[in-house]
Amino acid sequence: MKSTIHEYKKNNFKSMSKKLILVIALVITTNTFFGQTVFDKFDNQDDITAIMVNKKMFELMGKIDSKDKDAKELANLVKKLDNLRVFVTANDKKGDEMKAATDKYLKTANLDELMRINEKGKSVKIYVKSGASDSQVKELLMFIEGSGKEETVLMSLTGNFDLDELSALTEKMNLPGRAELEKAGKGKK
Amino acid sequence: MKVFVFIALAFSLFLGSCSNEPSLQKFFVENAEKKDFIALDISSSILNIDEAKLSVEQKAALTSFDKMNIIAFKSTPKNQATYEAEKLKINGILKDEAYQQLIKVGSGKDGASVSFVGTDDNIKEFIFYANRKENGFAVVRVTGDKMNPTNVMTLLTVLQKSKINLDQLKPLEGLMK
Repeated sequence: MKSTIHEYKKNNFKSMSKKLILVIALVITTNTFFGQTVFDKFDNQDDITAIMVNKKMFELMGKIDSKDKDAKELANLVKKLDNLRVFVTANDKKGDEMKAATDKYLKTANLDELMRINEKGKSVKIYVKSGASDSQVKELLMFIEGSGKEETVLMSLTGNFDLDELSALTEKMNLPGRAELEKAGKGKK
Repeated sequence: MKVFVFIALAFSLFLGSCSNEPSLQKFFVENAEKKDFIALDISSSILNIDEAKLSVEQKAALTSFDKMNIIAFKSTPKNQATYEAEKLKINGILKDEAYQQLIKVGSGKDGASVSFVGTDDNIKEFIFYANRKENGFAVVRVTGDKMNPTNVMTLLTVLQKSKINLDQLKPLEGLMK
């Protein structure tokens, strides 16, 4: 009798661990499937303004058929973009959280520092993950530290694009830190 | 007799497939008459466009759009619990795979998003969703047939020229105050 109970427990444990593996696998696959980034936890938080533009939006924008030359250029670039995430906060505590998450991410992901600017008490850091060639970029990460006075901004843009093209886009989209990006694009040339 | 059974079967299948459809439609129908809700159906006549002046492309873009349904919830200090509950419902519905999210902006207290249903070249529905704790929330569905990105852009340029007839939007005024 004792042994059957033992056997039962053993089986139960087996099926439990099987289930656990399944759940973990599911969580991992769904996470990667939706292209969630590590920063998505900053979405839906008080005091943090989040802007998310998904791949589908860029795809649709790239399909716009226009005779205008500028618009065509823009359409060609947005096709190469995947996801845009921007998080802005004026709250010190949230700013620190964002900084910690960025630092942690930089340690695990293979990103190179592209440039670092310090002016008027705010520091701007730009990192890139290079693609096939030098000016090809797979991910662009920008962190602007407000240090209490100004807003802290975290921006992540993924895709497979050229830095030069991007500065043209930021000019049109009026994104934060576009002056810095412009310098970055020129520095690479 | 056999034909009868067949029809009944086909009909039930049809109904069954309907219930699997995204339930935003259901949300609209269920809540339209409820307290705190404002529901509006808007036809393309709101645009007040002189069709004779449109180009062929613009006409095609205009005809791809069908109508607009709006449902809005006016939040008051008294109905915060309902507000949160209904907001959760909408968030849940919009998480469905059928609704492909394009853009989302927001913080914990307020937010807005744009999603669509369909494929890139055959967009069946656009959903605009906005919420703010002090005002409430609004969901706008723009439905049509074979809408596509180019059509949207064309229509936006048409809209800039049109004299929008705002009378149809009067019921929403209370929400903005």
